Amino acid sequence: MSVGLQTSSASPAALRSFEAQWRARAADALRPAREQAMQRFLKLGLPSPRDETWRYTDLRALAAQSFVDAPHKARGEIQPHAALPLLDGLPLSATVLMVNGYPSLNPDDAAINGIEISSINELSRLDPSNMLRFLPPASDADQRRWVLLNTALFRDGLYLKITQQLSTPLLILHVSAGDGANDVAHPRVIIDACPGSSATIIEHHVAQGEHTPLNNSSTHIALARDARLEHYRVFATDPGATHFDSVDIHQDQGSECKQFTIVLGGGLVRATLEGNLRQRGAALDSYSLLVGHQNRHVDCVNIVTHGAPDTRSRQTARAIASDFSRVIFNSKVIVNAGAVNSDSQQSCRGLLLSPTAEIDTRPQLEIHTDEVKCAHGATTGRLDPDMLFYMLSRGLDRATAQSLLVFAFLADVLTGMSVSSARSAIENALISQLPDSQLLRRFR
Amino acid sequence: MLEIIDLTVRVAGKEILKGVNLKVNAGEVHAIMGPNGSGKSTLAQVLAGREDYEVTRGSVSFEGRDLLALPAEERARAGLFLGFQYPVEIPGVNNVYLLKAALNAKRKCAGEPEVDAYDFLALIKQKMKLMQMSEAFLTRGVNEGFSGGEKKRNEVLQMLVLEPKLAILDETDSGLDIDALKVVSMGVNSLRDPKRAVVLVTHYQRLLDYVIPDQVHVLTGGRIVKSGDKSLAQELERRGYDWVLESRVA
Repeated sequence: MSVGLQTSSASPAALRSFEAQWRARAADALRPAREQAMQRFLKLGLPSPRDETWRYTDLRALAAQSFVDAPHKARGEIQPHAALPLLDGLPLSATVLMVNGYPSLNPDDAAINGIEISSINELSRLDPSNMLRFLPPASDADQRRWVLLNTALFRDGLYLKITQQLSTPLLILHVSAGDGANDVAHPRVIIDACPGSSATIIEHHVAQGEHTPLNNSSTHIALARDARLEHYRVFATDPGATHFDSVDIHQDQGSECKQFTIVLGGGLVRATLEGNLRQRGAALDSYSLLVGHQNRHVDCVNIVTHGAPDTRSRQTARAIASDFSRVIFNSKVIVNAGAVNSDSQQSCRGLLLSPTAEIDTRPQLEIHTDEVKCAHGATTGRLDPDMLFYMLSRGLDRATAQSLLVFAFLADVLTGMSVSSARSAIENALISQLPDSQLLRRFR
Repeated sequence: MLEIIDLTVRVAGKEILKGVNLKVNAGEVHAIMGPNGSGKSTLAQVLAGREDYEVTRGSVSFEGRDLLALPAEERARAGLFLGFQYPVEIPGVNNVYLLKAALNAKRKCAGEPEVDAYDFLALIKQKMKLMQMSEAFLTRGVNEGFSGGEKKRNEVLQMLVLEPKLAILDETDSGLDIDALKVVSMGVNSLRDPKRAVVLVTHYQRLLDYVIPDQVHVLTGGRIVKSGDKSLAQELERRGYDWVLESRVA
């Protein structure tokens, strides 16, 4: 099977280059799903501001680029720790390294109790039908455009099966390290949480070297009955980096997920979260901490679907924008017919730290049943002058007072983190992005 | 210590203070009384350095320095303290951190080293005991979830820790029950000292039963229209503010 030529010389260079990558791929056990995804992607093309969830993010510059596959690098070519104060002192059950989307597995990882760590390619060869369960059907929804491309083009990926209750977090360290300015990587992660299991998984995205590839990452999370997961994705790449990341969460009966999206780096970061509460009693708490800095553009899309009765979702987003940055937070809660007693809350707050920064928040609700409890609120403003005056009147200098207020603004997200080691590591990384970081450290 | 001459202040385009004159010497306690809307809180806030209040005329000197030329934080470090009528809640900023930062800012300004963490904790616990505050307040955000009375106690606690030269307490007594009023008064009295001064802004004479003022001033219509000793407060309580206005006209 092969896809007929879909692009023409009039198509954007990026699209043509993705098609060329696809044509160069050898067929593997996942080929049917990949082919379907690629066809759909080529048919729909790159998203544009005409697409509902892409209104604020223009990809024209990216469309004019021709991309090539980012290189496969060995563990020895990467020195991640040099650039990673985030990891200092964090007790971990394991660190799994992924470089440009290729997992670099350590033989020791196989010995950790309660979790199976494998390469997607390896498992696809052994049991393709099992792996196909985790590849989503092709969708026309515009927020899923880059997931289609990821499904078609991921070179390998990481499959984690959580079988027990893990007490310490597991870290997935995604390192982007290109050889040229036009590299692209499609990292893929599958988290398969067995019934009653629990774990904390931190995906940390960093870059190394001069060239950071375009990153199109996708994480698929399946929580079986009563499974619990605390999942973090932390973006800390360089100011020139472009990152599209999608997390899909599928939750069975009584499962609980806390998801944290933390944007501390990157030039253009698009972070999508789709939560699917498909069985009774499933609960999803999502927290977004979006820091706009310099010229950074952060576009966050959360879509949570209540597909069963007695499901619960909370979305807490805190956005800060300084300099010329722009932060967008779009959240949507959909309550399907029959999902009675659904309970959802959306709270988005934005804090503008400069007159040239911009924050757009848009909470939305789509309800197809009665007997639900759905609340939403969105506010954006500057630092509260009364709070600032109060602190100044106690003798604090202005910079300290402002930093403390900025940090306080983020407290609702930080206090949601139940793993204290992860929280303090993230606080540390966050503080270094705020003005007067030295001062703030003294207050912790 | 504090000398206010012909202070005229506009708030949102409206003239609120219309030439206030007041002199407070070290060691004295002054009470400023007056009806609602007379400009009492505006005076307190403008002395503390509120930026959106526009001084259109007059001068304020504090220990010989031009107070109005200093930003709020420098006024505080120079030894001025405002107890807020409505203390602000600042969720996410720890009550004790704020106080420690405030104390250290003041010490730094005076060329003193930062306070030792253990010494500070001992100091604050001692003052909290005096103010009959639960140690639970140590871990809370600034005024977060405090009742009205707790907020006022917290203001006085801050004052006791910072030991200002001049404390301006803006209706610190309002909203307090009689027990809390006694505690707050004790806190204020513990600060009385020949080197310090206190300005109490209040509606009611009640506080002045516990903190005996040296002078009482009546502020109304943006001016101080009458001054006297503590008996003036009692007279006001009996006869109301209209009496001052009428006797002035007569």
